[in-house]
Amino acid sequence: MDILGETAKELYRALDNKEIQTGLKRSISNLSISVDRVLNVWPYLEELASKVREIKEETLNNLDYYIDLTMRNVKRSHGHPYFARNREEALKILDEIIGDDSPLLIVKAKSMVTEEVGIREHLISLGHSVYETDLGELLIQISRDKPMHAIAPAIHIPKEGAIELLRRLGLNVREGMNIEEIVMEVRSFLRRKFVDADIGISGANVVAADTGSIILISNEGNIRNTTSLPPVHIAVTGVEKIMPTLSDAFMQALVQAGYAGLYPPTYLSIIAGPSSTADIEYHRVYGVHGPKEFHMILYDGGRLSAIKDPFLSEQLLCIRCGRCQAECPVWGLTGNIWGGNVYGGPMGIVWTAIVENISLASALSLFCLVCGRCMEVCPMKIDMPHIIRNLKSRLNL
Amino acid sequence: MPLPIKDVIRMIIENTRKSGAPIPLPPEIATGWADGMDIPRGGETVIYTGLLYQLLPYLNASIKKLESLEENAVGATLLKLGKIISKVIDINKLISSVSRDELEKQYDVLRSIAIMLRNADIEYGYLYEDEMYSGVLLFDMGLDDFFKEHIEKVYSVLRKNRVKRIITIDPHTTHVMRTVYPKYLPEYDIEVKNYLEILSSKGLNGGMKSGVEGVIHDPCYYARFQNIIDEPRQLLNAAGVTVLEPPLKTRKLTFCCGGPIESISPKLSRNIAEMRLDELKNINRRIIVLCPICYSNFSRVADRNLVIEDISRLLVKAFGE
Repeated sequence: MDILGETAKELYRALDNKEIQTGLKRSISNLSISVDRVLNVWPYLEELASKVREIKEETLNNLDYYIDLTMRNVKRSHGHPYFARNREEALKILDEIIGDDSPLLIVKAKSMVTEEVGIREHLISLGHSVYETDLGELLIQISRDKPMHAIAPAIHIPKEGAIELLRRLGLNVREGMNIEEIVMEVRSFLRRKFVDADIGISGANVVAADTGSIILISNEGNIRNTTSLPPVHIAVTGVEKIMPTLSDAFMQALVQAGYAGLYPPTYLSIIAGPSSTADIEYHRVYGVHGPKEFHMILYDGGRLSAIKDPFLSEQLLCIRCGRCQAECPVWGLTGNIWGGNVYGGPMGIVWTAIVENISLASALSLFCLVCGRCMEVCPMKIDMPHIIRNLKSRLNL
Repeated sequence: MPLPIKDVIRMIIENTRKSGAPIPLPPEIATGWADGMDIPRGGETVIYTGLLYQLLPYLNASIKKLESLEENAVGATLLKLGKIISKVIDINKLISSVSRDELEKQYDVLRSIAIMLRNADIEYGYLYEDEMYSGVLLFDMGLDDFFKEHIEKVYSVLRKNRVKRIITIDPHTTHVMRTVYPKYLPEYDIEVKNYLEILSSKGLNGGMKSGVEGVIHDPCYYARFQNIIDEPRQLLNAAGVTVLEPPLKTRKLTFCCGGPIESISPKLSRNIAEMRLDELKNINRRIIVLCPICYSNFSRVADRNLVIEDISRLLVKAFGE
């Protein structure tokens, strides 16, 4: 297959798609202005960002040690840690955790790593009912599209498109409804799913090695419901998300929220193990109001090989705020269609090289202007133009 | 229908290897701007055009041709038939299709710069037909082996002419010859100064306000890679030009004109230029550009009521006498 030709055709289809163009146009300038406002009001975020970069560099240099430390501390807090080298291993672990029970109701928080692994599709193929609970990601699930942005997956779908998709799911939404009314319908639909769910699956924005905790950022409130109400919580996350301490991890979470323009984040959840009580005779019981079981799957998926690549390794510093996407001229017209199966835009081209394949990433890289705006806005100051130019050089002519 | 991109890249490589530039440029066209300017041949310090301004009308014509191949049915059929780009585009026809007027517009930019440097008491020579294209397109496309091969020739010509310093006049040539060459050629020892840096260091003052105002579009390579941001503003102010700034997308956060991908994806490039121009034209109908690629890409999509103007053409009115 001619990857380059196919990539070009996809991009041209995006340029000709009025709905995508309208959605991107409406959302991007709002996103840009939000981030700019956040950084003006809370300028300390820039300082924190450079500290986070330093800590992440050190962590990635000793990642095997920190993976091991995380696994030990998840266990210490009565969680179940796992390490998966690839997609197959991750799905096998997931199947073992879930068991052979009859079809289950599973709620999911948005997570790009679960997209990488293909968890939703896998569970649905086994007969389970799976619902994305982030509104944008729910729209993506219904449209069978790919997430269009790291933080705002349905950035390309205007209101009219959202109504049509939600109607397909059976929600009582109608043309002419305002966005507030649409959101209320979604709230009422998902509320029942949260309460009845057997399992909640999330990613993690950051992982703290010294406590085995994960931190999750949310504004919708769906993550708290997903990770608290079902009896089992499974978190799946990339190994590069590990920070040495809980305080380092907290710092990264603040930076990610700020550079995504969502600051202060409405909810920051720190989770270490299952819920428990020792209120009767100081006897510890697991599973009170929150989950009885907490599982954490640390996912490699190409990251550990990328550490050895002199170009790709720098991308592992990425905290996935998505700012480079919203500020990129090419991405502004194509969204994640300029990308691999999961990640798109400047950071996404490099992530595609890490988690999918170099040939596809090289083909995508040819459409990069190498204008350097992504590096300028990146909180980690990742030299994406340099990496992407290198990917261009790997294209087989 | 998208272009057969690999063919386009191969054509650029082939042309650059054979003729020294992405489009073969006859020497009299490359050097014609200097006719009658009495610029000495060679010397330790030379003005270095890197051929970009002279190439511009021809690049423009080739992009228009590529664009028509993308868009019209005949072009699409030819591409489907697998006709390679270099066979579809007749370079000689392309060169003869450029009008003298279009070329003179670019010559005016080069002459303006040369005159201002002379008026600022800068002594410099010119390599005339020995001057070579910098190879920046090969670098931008990641064609490392061809780029290295090309810049070895460029450096050897500079050494043969005993050049020690070059005065560059566009952002791409400045960046690649100042920052990139040393990474590929460890022995490279040419000092590179940009004309805006030189002129701004002279503390020029053009006197009265000219009444001219325009919105500035920083080129990515100057602003982000070479930190040439204050110099053009200082010079425009000194020339009496009122400089307007786009909100947010300016200085280090400037927004690309789309030019760097014009040859592999004219359609995407055009869309980016339109997006940027939409913002700029709401601020002022005069758009001040500092780069031939920005000039070309904006000119391709601009309405007639917009004025896309190279900074040198505004500066020369104050500093060219």
